[in-house]
Parts: sequence; structure tokens; C-alpha cells
Amino acid sequence: MAGEKILIIEDDENQRLLYKEELEEQGYRVIEAANAEEGLRLVEEENPDLVILDIWMPDMNGLEALTRIYEMNPNLPVIINTAYSAYQDRFTSWLAEAYVVKSADISELLDAVKRSLESRSKGKKD
Amino acid sequence: MERKGEVLTLILAGGAGQRLYPLTKTRAKPAVPFAGVYRIIDFTISNCINSGMMRIYVLTQHKSISLDRHLKEMCSIFRPEFGEFLETVPPQQFIVSRWYAGTADAIFQNIHLLEEKRPNHVLILSGDHVYKMDYRVLLEWHLSKDADLTIACVDVERKEASRYGVMEVDSDWKVIGFSEKPRNPKPMPFNPDRCLISMGVYVFRTETLVKAVIRDAKRQTEHDFGKNVIPELVEVANVYAFPIRECLPESMHYWRDIGTVDSYYEAQMELLEPSPQFDLFDSSWRIWTHIGQQPPTMIRGSKCSIQNSLVAPGAFIADATVIRSIISYGVRIEEESNISESILMPNVIVGKGCTLKRTIVDEGVCIPPNTTIGVDDKSDAKRFFISKQGIRVIPVGTIFLETPQ
Repeated sequence: MAGEKILIIEDDENQRLLYKEELEEQGYRVIEAANAEEGLRLVEEENPDLVILDIWMPDMNGLEALTRIYEMNPNLPVIINTAYSAYQDRFTSWLAEAYVVKSADISELLDAVKRSLESRSKGKKD
Repeated sequence: MERKGEVLTLILAGGAGQRLYPLTKTRAKPAVPFAGVYRIIDFTISNCINSGMMRIYVLTQHKSISLDRHLKEMCSIFRPEFGEFLETVPPQQFIVSRWYAGTADAIFQNIHLLEEKRPNHVLILSGDHVYKMDYRVLLEWHLSKDADLTIACVDVERKEASRYGVMEVDSDWKVIGFSEKPRNPKPMPFNPDRCLISMGVYVFRTETLVKAVIRDAKRQTEHDFGKNVIPELVEVANVYAFPIRECLPESMHYWRDIGTVDSYYEAQMELLEPSPQFDLFDSSWRIWTHIGQQPPTMIRGSKCSIQNSLVAPGAFIADATVIRSIISYGVRIEEESNISESILMPNVIVGKGCTLKRTIVDEGVCIPPNTTIGVDDKSDAKRFFISKQGIRVIPVGTIFLETPQ
């Protein structure tokens, strides 16, 4: 199962570093973008299997980035990862595979990654 | 009963209407004139107005100028002060840079409208059906069943059902199966000769709708409610049928999908029968429209004969014979002409001594004196569009160059 390429779009460097270490430990390959524009470029160039997306970023609202990612690749699973739960009610955020509120314990995020990748590979078989 | 403000209505009016060509040559199907003074979409809009559903977006797309104009003229009875509106929305390309790929995609691409209004329930309608429905009764039914989706339906003979979305229901009207245009449609539980078909009138719980169209948008499908979204929802959600014959008064049992030239023609000829099932004269359910200021109808001459026809204001008929026909506003028919079983759309001019039979003449066309249409199949076939049932159509912009016969 492991070995899938995960793109982290997140402006907080420490957060990126933490996720990268944890995800690599699980056997995933990780690429990083420090802002939305760079993230969108990597979606196109690197063809990742999954995206972890922050909402508050200096250059673009993550929800806008989400719709741009959808347009580039409608089947690419995106997990929204934000400190704010309020965006969960926004219909646009439902385009994401999962919505995980940031916390010190990142097991929820890791679970969401695993689940999304599993349902994606199941969808491919169907 | 919820307050009306908690329901948002979306009318799908974006289809290309290819099967209704050439009537859709210059306009969207919902804007095609109907019954002398109306356009097809008036029936759906009137149902909304008469049911108090006053928050309406009309999702347009192809050739929408005349539809836009017509709806703008009808807007004046909507009061923004009370949160009422009738707005046309062409594709905005907020999410994707393309036109609508199907009915479900049209909703998906307009999720921002739902976000903005945040209704509890969404009423989804088509702009090309002729029927009367009190959507309040539909909504009450939907709420009483605590449904995620309620689909209005009518029963038809089994042999006709293959053209539609056919529903299977249990004894409580819960939908347990849905197939779009099935070859072998499943009959109703207690009547093996009839099937329940979807009228394309839906009430969704907003959350159910948004999730369903997003799920559909991520898949390679035709992005169609009937083909893709509903069959899946039947499996996972609380979907109910709203059987109009059981729930609505008899005056509301009529429903026609105006798909083809022949169904367009037939639906209007039905209005001319001695006691038509669809009653335009029903004062409890007026059909709203806008035709501008028109003078009274003028019938001139001692030899003028008009039978079993609908004649709109502003028509001028001079010493001609009109039998079982629809004469729209602004039409002028000159002496010794004979019009039978025909539909003349607004501002058509028929010169002296013409014979028109089973012919639809589109807006503004001038038929020169002594022209005969609808009598000789061979010569007509060379000049005009003829439908499967033999109806001649003279499209917008037709210019008669040949020498009058």
C-alpha cells in the first residue's frame, strides 16, 4: 500500500516538517509546498496521490486552492487540515475527501490519509 | 410547515433542446412560445408563484437571450423587500472552466448559490414541462416523510414508461429502485399495467443535494440526475415518491414533457379539446406571462369563421377561416386564408388566400399570398422541416423566395 506520493501545502514550516517525518515513517513519499501557488504547480508537475491542504495561507485561501485542484484533477483526494473548524460548514470544503482540525495528536490526520488512499485505490478497481 | 424562505428553487433551463429543433434554432427550449401568449417556462414559473415559492434562480446556458428578456419582464411581481427574486444565472465558471456537462453538473457548478442562500431544502424543476403543481403540498409530503429527496411522479401505461425514469416503490411510497429509460420497466405494486415515472421535479434536503452532486462531480459519469445521481441516492438515502394522482386535486394530474416537435404540437392541440385536461381558464391557478401591451383581437368581415381555437390579444383576422388552431398575439391573417390544426406564433403574417394545415409557423415569419403548406407531402418535404407525425415547421427567419402558387 505504502509508497504513495503525498503533497503537503502548508505555510508553517514546523508543521510541514512534523507531517513529513510522520508520513515518511509510514512509508509515504512526501513533497512540500510553502504556499498555494507552489502547491498548485506541484499538483500539475508531480502528480501526487493525495494532498494535505491548509486553509489560511498568505497567497490564496485554501478553499479556492481546493477548487483549482479539483479542476486540474477531479479524482485527486485532498484532506483539508486547518486550525479552524468553522470552514467545515462551507459547501466548497465538502469537495475535500476529509476535513481534519489541527491538533497536537496527528493520528486523526494519518488515519484520514490512509482511508482516503484506500478508498481511492478501491475506486480505481471498481 | 416550514416557512417559504427556507426553500430555494432552481429551474434547469440550460439544455440545447436539440429534439425540438428547429423551434430551438434561435432560443432555449423554455423560451419557445406556447398556446398563443405563453412561453414554455411560464408553466413552471406560475407553479412557483401560485405556490408561494418566490426565491428562484433559473440556470440558463444555450441561446438564453430571449429567455432572459422574458423572465426580466416577469420579475416585476417579485418583491426583493421580502427576499423574493427571479434571477437568471448563466454559467459562471466559478469552479471549472466549462459549460454544464449535465443536470447534476449544473447544480454542482452553482454550489455558491446554495452557499449564499443556505436554504434547508432545494426545489429543482425543469423549464420545459407543462403542468400545474402546488409545490407546497409536495414540500409538506417531503417534510412529513423526513425525506432526503422526494421525487414527484405520475403513473403512465407500461409501454410508454421506457422513455422516462421509472421508480419502484414500497407501500409507503419509499423509492426502492430507480432506472432511467429502462427497456423492461417495473410496474407499480398494485397495477401491473402501469409504471410510476419521474416528472423531473425534486425536493432535496440541501445537504443531501450538495454531497450528491460533489460525489458525482468526482466521477466519470454523464452527470445526470436521472442516470447517475438518483439511482445511487436510492441505495444510500431516504428517497420518497410524491404520487400526484394520490396527493393533488384532479386539475393537477396533467403533465407533459415538451421534448419533441410532435409533443409540443400535441400538447397544444390538447388545449383545444372540448374539456381539456389542462384548463387555461382555471381562475384558481392562473398561468402568468408577459406579452407587453396588446390591442384587442380584431375579427373583421362577414365571412370570417373561427372554430375551436385559441386566439390571443392583438391578433387580426380578416375574412379567413380558422379551425382548431392557435393564433398568437400580433398575428395577422388576410382574406380567404384557411388555417387548420396549426400553430401561428407571435407576429406571424399570413397573406391572402393561403392554406395552412398541421403547420407550425414560428415567430415573425411572413407567409406570402396564395401559399399552401401541409397538403402535399412531396412538395413540402423539399421546402420544409416535417416531423415524424407530419407536422410542418416554418422556422424563424424563413424567407419565401419562390413565386407564390
